[in-house]
Amino acid sequence: MAVPGFIQSIEATGIAEWMRLSVKAMPIVESIHVLAAATVFGTIFIVDLRLLGVPGGGRPFTRISDEMLRLTWIAFALAVITGSMMFAPNASTYFVNTAFRLKMLALLAAGLNMMIFQLVTYRGVGTWDDSMPPRAARLAGVLSILLWVTVVFLGRWIGFTKGYNFDAAPPPDMNFEF
Amino acid sequence: MAGFAEWLQATSLSVTFQSLSWFIPLLQSIHIIGIGVVFISSLMICLRVLGRMRADEPFPAVWKRFAPWMWSGLVVMLITGILLIIGEPVREFTAFSFWLKMTLLAIVVAITAILGRVLLPTAPGPGASFSGGAKTAAVAIVVLWVGVIFLGRAIAYDVEVWGSLSHHGET
Repeated sequence: MAVPGFIQSIEATGIAEWMRLSVKAMPIVESIHVLAAATVFGTIFIVDLRLLGVPGGGRPFTRISDEMLRLTWIAFALAVITGSMMFAPNASTYFVNTAFRLKMLALLAAGLNMMIFQLVTYRGVGTWDDSMPPRAARLAGVLSILLWVTVVFLGRWIGFTKGYNFDAAPPPDMNFEF
Repeated sequence: MAGFAEWLQATSLSVTFQSLSWFIPLLQSIHIIGIGVVFISSLMICLRVLGRMRADEPFPAVWKRFAPWMWSGLVVMLITGILLIIGEPVREFTAFSFWLKMTLLAIVVAITAILGRVLLPTAPGPGASFSGGAKTAAVAIVVLWVGVIFLGRAIAYDVEVWGSLSHHGET
């Protein structure tokens, strides 16, 4: 599969070079990515459960969603930054990786689901804020949970497929005595 | 420990897991979903103690909302974690990150259990501030979970992260 020139040029950027050469960059960046992903999933899961009426009664949907989504967006931004850093050193390999492509599709679908919910279903929130959400809202909640679980699974799958450029130059000699 | 790891790796159960290419990624994925639930449930409880989340709700209500998810998530993580160990015993037992992770895990679970026991009957109501000790414990719990997450990923990079402290590749 042909890889566009701009994807290949990402591999030549300074950040890509640094990620390739630094021994500790990848584990640290990956750890932050997992922390961010766990936070995105966990906070969205609380909102999705409320859309499904769990827990019943109690806190209004709008309050839960306002409290959680601040955290979600901060964590999502962190996930995008760290994800891009992981992508950069092997951009053209990831670009043609099926698990990577499917993950991007699942992310897009999760975003669309959220957008449709915000633009359409959320407009009538006044009538169900304190009670069981309507069917459209419950559907958005189920879809959100399924899509974000898919994103996590595909993300982990990338690491077990060819998310690595085996043709790249070998790393410099590493001295582990520190 | 190295002997035990090698014995475990040779058992038929471990050999079966090793032969299934989807086994490790699947279990690791469930493990990550689990940490999402555990970490955020714990974070909600800790932020309530710090007065930064659901300050209008009494502490026992917040605990009752999130603690069952936290403990159930932890059970899922223990089960997937044990299966991952059976699947790759030498990789886990020779990693310094693994042992440090288990240590932090034991500490964070203990602090959380004690926090719940102490605060459930004595927590100040909505609007009132928690004691300095409770707030310190809440911060410690969040920091420890972040450490557990980092160390979990570091198992894959044990030599790169720990150098000579790691026993990866020695057996």
